[in-house]
Amino acid sequence: MAPGPIPSLTGSGATPSRFGRAFRNAITWYSFLLPPLLLILIFVGYPTLLTFRQSLFTETVDGDVFAGTYHFQRLLTNAVFWGAIGNTVLLGVAFLVIIIPLATVFASMLNRIRRGATPLKVIYFLPQLTSSVAVAIMFHYVFQPDWGLLNGGLRGLGVDHLPLWLSDPRYNLTGSRAAVTLLAVWAGLGYFIIVLLAGLQSIPTDLYDAAAIDGASPVQSWYYITLPSLRPTFIFLIMTGTIDALSRFGDLWTLGGPGGSPARSLQSIVMFMFQAGFESSDFSLSAASAVVFFLIVLAVTAVAFWGFLRREFKAIR
Amino acid sequence: MMAEEAVSVPVAATARRRWQLPHDWRGQTAMGIALIFGAAIMLLPFLWMVATSLSRKANVSMPRTPSFWPPDPSFFNYFVATANLPIVRLYLNSLIVVGVTTTGYLFFSAIAGYAFAKGRFPGKSILFIVFLATLFIPFETRMIPLYLFMGHLKLTNTYWALILPFLAGGFGTFLMRQTISTIPDELIEAARIDGASEFRIFIQIILPLCKPTLATLAILNVIWRWNDVLWPLLVTSKRDLFTVTQGLALAGRSSGIYTGVALATAVMAILPVIVAYLFLQRYVIRSVVSSGVKG
Repeated sequence: MAPGPIPSLTGSGATPSRFGRAFRNAITWYSFLLPPLLLILIFVGYPTLLTFRQSLFTETVDGDVFAGTYHFQRLLTNAVFWGAIGNTVLLGVAFLVIIIPLATVFASMLNRIRRGATPLKVIYFLPQLTSSVAVAIMFHYVFQPDWGLLNGGLRGLGVDHLPLWLSDPRYNLTGSRAAVTLLAVWAGLGYFIIVLLAGLQSIPTDLYDAAAIDGASPVQSWYYITLPSLRPTFIFLIMTGTIDALSRFGDLWTLGGPGGSPARSLQSIVMFMFQAGFESSDFSLSAASAVVFFLIVLAVTAVAFWGFLRREFKAIR
Repeated sequence: MMAEEAVSVPVAATARRRWQLPHDWRGQTAMGIALIFGAAIMLLPFLWMVATSLSRKANVSMPRTPSFWPPDPSFFNYFVATANLPIVRLYLNSLIVVGVTTTGYLFFSAIAGYAFAKGRFPGKSILFIVFLATLFIPFETRMIPLYLFMGHLKLTNTYWALILPFLAGGFGTFLMRQTISTIPDELIEAARIDGASEFRIFIQIILPLCKPTLATLAILNVIWRWNDVLWPLLVTSKRDLFTVTQGLALAGRSSGIYTGVALATAVMAILPVIVAYLFLQRYVIRSVVSSGVKG
């Protein structure tokens, strides 16, 4: 394929052949895009539209009947659904409130320590590579009240009244919700530390030199330089952590089944969706909860995107 | 990197004054103790799990004080777990599913990314928005219709159900487009003048230049697909089609009272991933951080 400008040879045929080449080129690009586009339309676009449709219709023997907002009314007056939303939000907030300060302290120490940072990072990151299901099975036994690793250790320290952990559905600091929050912090700490460490290492060192010359103590420079510089990292972690917490499923399902035993104390939004659809075969109610879930995640993503990520994307380009 | 350079100065200083401790030895020691304590908390559950999985007695009674060495070391629980669950078959299933989805995901992401980065054709920005929109649709939103759809296609209880929905996605396409955009046009132009077709340019020039991004995407996709449990639970109910994680989830719930056996199953499920991680840890950590997406 010769490049265009050789008018003496092609003569008046130059314009149609250039158009033809552009057309052929476009066909090539479309043929590159077609297979992934079809896959996305069939397995992402189509089912998503069906979710919205399903939430507005009722399945009957005579086919689907339009139900308007009936399923949403059922959903929003359903105490179990509100319980699931409450659990998801409570577990998510407790997780972030504990893990962010903890990970900041550990990341700061890892950043300052002179020896052994790499093996320590590898160890902290280890649970991140373990599936949430395996972590849940492990912690099912760690939290066992009589002989579990945690209560056994507490007994060794001389604690008399050992908590019941996963068997206690009450809202307290040693109940099932507290147990799964400890589990999530243990599993997620490595990821939060590594991301914060990347943030710490992007802070210019001359800021610290200037502070040291001005006589700032290490604690002062940590408070006045490190923490404000980490602000974008914190926002990023809070946003991704929120979305992860909203779609929590694997570990809670393994520990408490689709109902989130004991006493639905561990049922998350996605588990409600799963149970309504696949145990009660109430696909419309399940679809309505999927729509609500979608809107919540979209709202969080939109806030993240407009408030923060847009700036980040610009920085990349 | 910067931090390491910054602290290398006092190290050199201490080497000269050989018999003196570094001026900040108190801080370093305190931080070291705190970090090792934290690492111990990270490791203890793993060690306890392995020790318990090697104890036959663990199925009947557990010591009231946690023990990190089995009183009766044996692989009994591993034999029982293997007899309960066709673990070799499960590994094979996971390898097939993870292998095919990862290969497909890389290929489709790269070729779509190439078209969006270097192609000139009508409707490009609209199509790109369609691809990007998938980033904002969580999988959970569409899992129920997708499950019913798979039933209509008679694909439930086949490998196809585990593979087809994960072959293409907006995230990979976006990442590949960003990478391919940085490749100079002159390189592609030169190959075109030499008469190479676009597909040949893609295979022979673009793909080799994208190896680091492809490695990142591959690592992330392997972690996601290996650990996924929600979708396999829905579309496969035959034991011969279970993935490792799914088999572990179901076995953990049914054989929960046999502590040793359940933990032996868990060890078998996570060991390959952890061994692979220890070899590739630097790349794995970098991939997860650079993309800002976790498994």
